[in-house]
Amino acid sequence: MKLAVTLILCFFGLTPCIAQDNYDADLIPATLRNRANAVIRNEETYVNMLAPNNVQYTVKQAITILNKNGEDNARLVLFYDKNTTIKNVTGEIYNEVGKLMGKFNESAFKDESAVHDFSLFEDNRIKHYLPNLNVYPYTIVYNYTIRFKQNLIIPNWTPKPANDVSVEKSSYTFVCKPTDQFRIKAQNINNKAEEQVNDKQKSLVWKVSNLTSQKDEPFSPDKESYQPSIKIAPEQFTYYNYKGAYTNWQELGKWYYENLLKGRNVLPAATVETIKALVKDIPTDKEKAKKIYECLQTKTRYISVQIGIGGFQPFAAAEVDRLGYGDCKALVNYMQSLLAVVGIESYYCVVQAGSEKKSLDPTYASMNQGNHIILCMPLKGDTTWLECTSQKIPFGFLSDFTDDRYVLACTPEGGKLLRTPKLTVQNNLQVRQADLTLTDQGNITGTVKTVFSGSQYDNHEHIIGKPLLEQEKMLKEAYAIDNINFDKIDYIQKKNIEPELIETLALNIKNYGALNNDKIFLPLNPFNVQRTIPEVKNRMMPVYINRGYTDVDTIIYLLPDYFNGAIEPYEKVINCEYGSYVATAKLEGKKLSYTRKFILNDGTFKAESYAVYSKFIADVNSADHQKLILNLKK
Amino acid sequence: MKKFLSLITLCFIVHFTAVAQDFNFGGLTESDYQFKKNTLDSNANAVVLKEFGRTSIQINESDGRPEIHFEYHVRIKIFNKDGFNHSNIVIPTYKDERNREMIKITKASTFNYNNGVFVETPLDKKAVFTEDRSKYTLLTKFTLPNIKEGSVIEYVYELQSPNLFNFKTWDFQSNIPKVYSEYQVNIPAIYNYNVSLRGPYKLTDQKTELFKECLRIAGNAIDCSKITYIMKNIPAFLEEDYMTAASNFRSAIYFELSDVQNLNGSRQSYTKTWKDVDFELTTAKNIGGQMKRKDVFKDILPNVLKNATDELSKAKAIYNYIKKQIKWNNYYGKYSEENIKDVVEMRSGNVADINLSLIAALSAAGLDAEAVILSTRENGTVNKLYPVMSDFNYIVAKVNIANKSYLLDATEPLLPFGLLPLRCINDQGRVINLKKPSYWIDLKADQKNVTNYILSGALTTDGKIKGTITTYTLGYAAFNRRKEIKKYNSIDEFVEKLDEQMPKLSIVKHEILNIDSVENTLTERYDVEFTVFDGKVMDQVYFNPFFINRIAKNPFNLNDRTYPIDLGAASDERINISVTLPEAYELIEKPKDMAIALPENGGRYLLQTSLLDNKIAVNQVLQFSNAIYPADHYLSLKEFYSRIIQNQKKDLLLKKTK
Repeated sequence: MKLAVTLILCFFGLTPCIAQDNYDADLIPATLRNRANAVIRNEETYVNMLAPNNVQYTVKQAITILNKNGEDNARLVLFYDKNTTIKNVTGEIYNEVGKLMGKFNESAFKDESAVHDFSLFEDNRIKHYLPNLNVYPYTIVYNYTIRFKQNLIIPNWTPKPANDVSVEKSSYTFVCKPTDQFRIKAQNINNKAEEQVNDKQKSLVWKVSNLTSQKDEPFSPDKESYQPSIKIAPEQFTYYNYKGAYTNWQELGKWYYENLLKGRNVLPAATVETIKALVKDIPTDKEKAKKIYECLQTKTRYISVQIGIGGFQPFAAAEVDRLGYGDCKALVNYMQSLLAVVGIESYYCVVQAGSEKKSLDPTYASMNQGNHIILCMPLKGDTTWLECTSQKIPFGFLSDFTDDRYVLACTPEGGKLLRTPKLTVQNNLQVRQADLTLTDQGNITGTVKTVFSGSQYDNHEHIIGKPLLEQEKMLKEAYAIDNINFDKIDYIQKKNIEPELIETLALNIKNYGALNNDKIFLPLNPFNVQRTIPEVKNRMMPVYINRGYTDVDTIIYLLPDYFNGAIEPYEKVINCEYGSYVATAKLEGKKLSYTRKFILNDGTFKAESYAVYSKFIADVNSADHQKLILNLKK
Repeated sequence: MKKFLSLITLCFIVHFTAVAQDFNFGGLTESDYQFKKNTLDSNANAVVLKEFGRTSIQINESDGRPEIHFEYHVRIKIFNKDGFNHSNIVIPTYKDERNREMIKITKASTFNYNNGVFVETPLDKKAVFTEDRSKYTLLTKFTLPNIKEGSVIEYVYELQSPNLFNFKTWDFQSNIPKVYSEYQVNIPAIYNYNVSLRGPYKLTDQKTELFKECLRIAGNAIDCSKITYIMKNIPAFLEEDYMTAASNFRSAIYFELSDVQNLNGSRQSYTKTWKDVDFELTTAKNIGGQMKRKDVFKDILPNVLKNATDELSKAKAIYNYIKKQIKWNNYYGKYSEENIKDVVEMRSGNVADINLSLIAALSAAGLDAEAVILSTRENGTVNKLYPVMSDFNYIVAKVNIANKSYLLDATEPLLPFGLLPLRCINDQGRVINLKKPSYWIDLKADQKNVTNYILSGALTTDGKIKGTITTYTLGYAAFNRRKEIKKYNSIDEFVEKLDEQMPKLSIVKHEILNIDSVENTLTERYDVEFTVFDGKVMDQVYFNPFFINRIAKNPFNLNDRTYPIDLGAASDERINISVTLPEAYELIEKPKDMAIALPENGGRYLLQTSLLDNKIAVNQVLQFSNAIYPADHYLSLKEFYSRIIQNQKKDLLLKKTK
């Protein structure tokens, strides 16, 4: 009898082996192979919220790497810190036909700190693994569990991580107590979750299958707009000994303010006095704020500091006052404290920074949105925004780092979503005026004055204050004309709320016009030739242009004395939904004037219209290469 | 009398020591405050006012072993905001399973000049962070408080290191200029180091004297040589484009342990003659030991060699086998980390693992195979006067077949037999033979960058060119091109991308040959269509024929050059364009035919244009015969490119013949 039991056990023991997935690469359907470098064969993500301070995150993942280009998808990177522990990592590697080639565990992983550049930090680390295989396809299977000692931030589920990866099947299970309240944000997922509730637990399961890969296309919108994802935010949470609850931005902002910000604005008496004295004769709040901001810019500098409540709490204002440095949180908190001294109200604002615009989601509040802090001063309707980590940026200008997006203001009354101002096509202006003299040898001398504003100011701000030698090198790259030399380089920074940078160059270009017999070949547009963009066949994605701009160039060439005869006036006009272009050239006496105006609109356009965009830019590029052939008298 | 003399000497030394001492922490003067940005270099954002380092060998009290003690003290003035990052300090230290370097930040402060006095803000000791960067590296990081324009920062640290071999290198030159840099070394008489000064600058001063009884080992007092190296007014080291290893040029002083005299009188030698090195390398487990392991390949070889008849085809078969079998893990090295049996089984290894496997396999097949140790380009050149093993960081195979030798590196699957990767083409390497003495060998690229474009097409009456572009690539050009193509999953995807990147041209048909047979010329053939005129072709037209690889930008656009220019490899590019015209035209004007050359046969450019039987032919040749050009050839290269660019701006003028 006992034997029978053992036998049965044996059978049970074997069952998982027999029922195990077959990783033979030939079983991947052709539709999933098309344009794919890797295929997720099966992935099961299982999140079990046992308690607010104990969330088990278990993943079983089998991915077939089809070729060398897909190799990076075989890499597993796991972050860990004081609040996040990695448990039970194992892996298996299967060959093309699905035969097990080897197994490994956590000891095979490389362990490194997760910090790059100069950053003062506590303990963010990563473990990562990449198999050594150069015969494709192969399949790698990972099993791991991570334990989070908090439930404020639960990783988002994005079953299809990249364009070049297709997904055979993937599932996400979220398990909690039947009484637990939480919000769900599902994006680009058609199926509703399968829900099961009993006395002990509630579980939700989402499944996707047969997601095909697609080509990377330039000017595509933010991945989030088309990637399937599930985000979960529990109502009651625990985080680094803090407890709280929220269901919307108002409540989250309130918790943020009450627990992480409040009381961190105390300044030493001496500083309070200095600030008061500094602004005592200044009439308006805005001007006072400007003065204090300039003081902040001389006194402090940005240093990345990843310390304090998972990197969410700024260090106290008094610390910044003493040390003269801080990260974005600390500097914003410090500036806010300085403003408070003279009674100017301001808000600590969480923002997702980056040139690519990304808003905090108005329909879904969560703690893992945003990566930067800025300051907002309501100033009785004259709302003014401050970026506190740069010593160069003008007062009241946010730059393309944080423009035009929703941010979360954490105020004593609770969180508020505010929108930062937009840098428009008209704001992002570059106006150039060049006065050049052409010699009969094709040489050019003259001055070029360019005014950059809006996001174009941003593009050039870094050159201000650089040593001359470096400015010269940068200019030779920006104006990559053979034989260009700068006799004088001058920059004036107008630190207005709408800032300007005025670049004045005295330059000479030997042999700019190419001399051939009695002719000079003169390219009309030396400084601003539009680069082409790729074509895209069978465009799938909508076209997204993040920021538009306007360029205006006027160039006057004084032609050599014995230039012969007339030239026909030239005009090129191009218009389309993406923008417009007008270039003209005409001759009056010895004065040849060339003008060019290029406008690129921002926005989202239909996928089909990409060809229009590509052609528009290609036509502009051709027109920008317009040459004039001048006959010289003999 | 004798006693008196030594007393005097002692006094003198004490006196001297006082002079050559470390400077006082925080002993700033008005002149430090006054020190202006353009005193030394107007382009500097910060400057080292003073720097002092001292290294000695001491006995570790806990384990009784000798170790390096290094003290470092620096005073930096920060001129402006762009110089603020010089107050963020990161000091890497080495660690492994057995040993680790110990570091202690003893002092660090910021000094701000305020109303005639310097106000000190010391660094909070808690603000020193340690980052466990990776398996072998620990980073000690801190940032100084209260930094403003004009701040002076100062810090001191002490480092203990078990690594006696390289003593402690001293960099006189860094990315900011230095007013004064002093390095004092105390080398016990029983240690003998080879010392070398690199870089263009001379020492301002050097003093050597005796430091009596500087070290005590097992009760024996040992004297030291105390050497002080001083350099003043050192410019910042600025990297340039197209530059070989910065370490070849940066001013620094290097040490390598030559030998140690043991207390019993015997000598233990570290850096020695090549004869000693040869013996060590050939017997070392991680080089010679692996080269001998023919047994690993005994069973594998018959299969690998089944179609090989002669020695050359055998060598090629083995080379291809190793390339395919073992994947490079991107680590360099001259010593194998694993034994090659495991490497072949695990199919992964560092440079040495792979190339030692290759050597063992070649030997197992009865071929005459040797090892060549070398230093990669970014690692700098090697010392030729005596063997400095730490200069070498790479190993490749050399196989000798019928009076010809081939250098092989099996880490790059896309390289053909006999071509080393560019990183290895660096002056000379040392051939290590199991039986014969070692010798130097030139590391030259066996093949150039060869590219040949042929466009043959016809101009249609509506201003289009329809034709075929055929490209032949060889050598490194083919290697790079293959790498580029392999980034895509298929040739079709590659061509699709290529086509998309050239919006004005469309590829109608394509064919790519020899993508995988790396021994052969890579051939790409594209049937293309592109527009040269808007609208109809007129009776008289200007026509620019430089539509393939036109040079729009001069890569050498500066006016000064300090260091040699490294173009990677010699190159040869030919472009032959032939376009049939729709009707009879005559050629009224054309860019002048030209033939220009670089000095000392460094390279040439040829252009020829002609119209014959209604066919325009434009032929160009662009050759660079060297991989590296001396700095004073920079302006010639600039002018050379400039003339090509000017010529390519010119059009042909065609007129219809009636």
